[in-house]
Amino acid sequence: MFRRSWAGIAAAGTALAALLSGCGGGDAASDGPVTLKVLTWEPGGTEYWKQVKTSFEAAHPDIKLEMQSVPFDKYPEVQGPYITSQSGPDVMANNAGLELFDRRGAYVPLGDKAAEINKDLVTYSGACEGFDTSKPCYGVPFSYQGNVLYYNKDVLRAAGLDPEKPPATWTEFGAACDAVTKAGKTCLALGLSGTFPAYWDFPEIARNYLTEDDIRGLLAGTLSWTDPKLVSVLEKLAEITTKGWTNKNAPSITMLPDGADIFQRGDAAFAGTIISDAVNWEAFGKALGDDKLGVTRWPAINPDAPLAQKFSGIEGAVYGVTKWSEKKNAGLKFISWLAGKENGELWVKHAKGQPLNKNVDPALLPSSPAFRKIQEFVAEPTLHAGVMLSGQETDALARGWQQVTLGQLTVDKWAEQMQQALERSPTKKQGN
Amino acid sequence: MTLSTAPVAKSAGADEPARPTPAPRGSGRAREWWLGAALVLPALALVVVFKLVPLIRGVITSLESSSGFDGGSFAGADNFIRMLDDPMVLTSFRNALLVVATLPFWVVIPLVLAVFIHQRAPGWRFFRAVYFVPYTIAPIVVGIMFRQILAPEGPINALLRGVGLEPLAIEWLNGRWSAIFSLVAVALWSFFGLGVMTYLAGLATIPDETLEAAYLDGAGFWRRLFSVVVPMLRPTVAYWSVLCASGVLIWLFPLIYALTQGGPGDATMMPEYLVFLTTFQFLDRGYGSAIGIALFVFVALLSVFSVRHMFKEGTRKPR
Repeated sequence: MFRRSWAGIAAAGTALAALLSGCGGGDAASDGPVTLKVLTWEPGGTEYWKQVKTSFEAAHPDIKLEMQSVPFDKYPEVQGPYITSQSGPDVMANNAGLELFDRRGAYVPLGDKAAEINKDLVTYSGACEGFDTSKPCYGVPFSYQGNVLYYNKDVLRAAGLDPEKPPATWTEFGAACDAVTKAGKTCLALGLSGTFPAYWDFPEIARNYLTEDDIRGLLAGTLSWTDPKLVSVLEKLAEITTKGWTNKNAPSITMLPDGADIFQRGDAAFAGTIISDAVNWEAFGKALGDDKLGVTRWPAINPDAPLAQKFSGIEGAVYGVTKWSEKKNAGLKFISWLAGKENGELWVKHAKGQPLNKNVDPALLPSSPAFRKIQEFVAEPTLHAGVMLSGQETDALARGWQQVTLGQLTVDKWAEQMQQALERSPTKKQGN
Repeated sequence: MTLSTAPVAKSAGADEPARPTPAPRGSGRAREWWLGAALVLPALALVVVFKLVPLIRGVITSLESSSGFDGGSFAGADNFIRMLDDPMVLTSFRNALLVVATLPFWVVIPLVLAVFIHQRAPGWRFFRAVYFVPYTIAPIVVGIMFRQILAPEGPINALLRGVGLEPLAIEWLNGRWSAIFSLVAVALWSFFGLGVMTYLAGLATIPDETLEAAYLDGAGFWRRLFSVVVPMLRPTVAYWSVLCASGVLIWLFPLIYALTQGGPGDATMMPEYLVFLTTFQFLDRGYGSAIGIALFVFVALLSVFSVRHMFKEGTRKPR
């Protein structure tokens, strides 16, 4: 206990010193270039990160980047021990939202510099506590992320459906799934293992029942999972699998890569994934052909609900400087560069992602029809309900959905388990 | 070789107490003490640094309530009490017991295969090498391999369909019981080679004449196995049993990680995976440590029971 107190005082002292020096802290190396260790899951792909390294190092000869790349689905398990032991990378990333807030103790708050660094970004609130830029911000996002429903026009056509008019309502979606299933294909490619159900599927159903205040209630832990609105969300999620709209092995596979593979192979009509990073319009366009790929919003369950026609958007990965880093100045230079125009253009050119920097040359934006369609959706953003869930809730959502699909659990019981998961979430305990 | 049951003739003076060696005196005794201490010290230091300190640290953390990655506060036995009311913890230990119940397969299958190899069954050289190969593949790679092999359209199901066993071509990782069965089967595939090697080492200590005599007396394979090999291999069987009993509770992590992530639902959730999930995904270090300590006690109890049994077997005098 005594050692812990001293460690706490030392850590507080270090953080204070870093803040006083404007997130500075003297970089340890005085001779030669400083080597920054960056922990990343390489959002945007390996080629983009190669370009980041080359371009940044060319502009900053005094800093070298050493990338530690970890697959996305294994990232929390690699990052966790670093944070617990307060050692490791100088710069690392987390998804904007609760995932970042839960780990805020690992990052140096940017203080007044946050507004200056992020001034050219469309939004950066997902990097700040409670999605509020007046509160502490812990890093820099540079990409925009969110969920859409991709579809394979050939599969729809073979099922007798009009690929130019994808289902817009839940009823139409059900009818389309019946037709696709009759044609011998899977309707919705789905994997229920890991964090994907919470991030990629839950928000799209939740938009039909929740308001933005409700979503903030999810983040704060004040909205109960036994609330009729959330129970309705779970009921509709259950319907997706129990009505036979998905591949049968959904409970035992992950959406990335297994579920996405089903869609890329041309074996499914729809796949609910994301707009940037992996399994987006670019990857699917390459696999199926741009002309065969369609994109739409998830079908509306309650078309009149306030958020039903909105886009669940969120800043992508947020990169911050770690509290234990001895190279905070170099780390700050790197994340500031990530928020800049040069990286924004690399992101568009090499990752084919949605940029956050407002100054990116519009001529560089991709000409893919799916990408152009996505621009219509992102123009009407709302809060992303998925990133408001804690680790416990994310896990319980996936496991509960697996069990409901296999007939081992009722929706009411699932809601109870979700509430228990909420109550066990350390950072959502009321009073924290 | 023959074993005589006749009492051993007493040598003259056998009843007399052994004459103690004269104790070294003064500086000699001190030198011996320091030498002994110096020899023991490195091992002791390693045990303290790498076993005792982490264990004590784990116990301390298990008594703390943590909030995210921030510092913890003393919570007494709260984490342990909470475990009793946590269905996931209870399910994970129930699953652990289920896996322990498969122990006879872990003990018998490698033994039978080792005896076949020891008796120079056709192809024994080939099989001796091949059986050990799975053990040399990293478990995480084994898990990734079997994700493909056990897929609904994977090679296992293709084979079953090919030989007309279509009803057996199920979704192996998709059901409560089939998932845990698959997990144990993959683990057994991965580790049985070590068991075969262990038994072969033990079999090498059994004189060939003993087995030949049994063979000439008309004992078949199973009779030789259970009446000759098993009694003479008791210490080896006991050693392998202890290793497996504790191992099945702490070896499975990479396989669960790669194959099922504890699912579907909680079907393959084991305490070791839950410790990891609780600590690093749920950011609840105190509770994760408490589950870890409970697992430690569970494994220790199981091992103490087995080791005690092994010690009894090992020290039992031949009749």
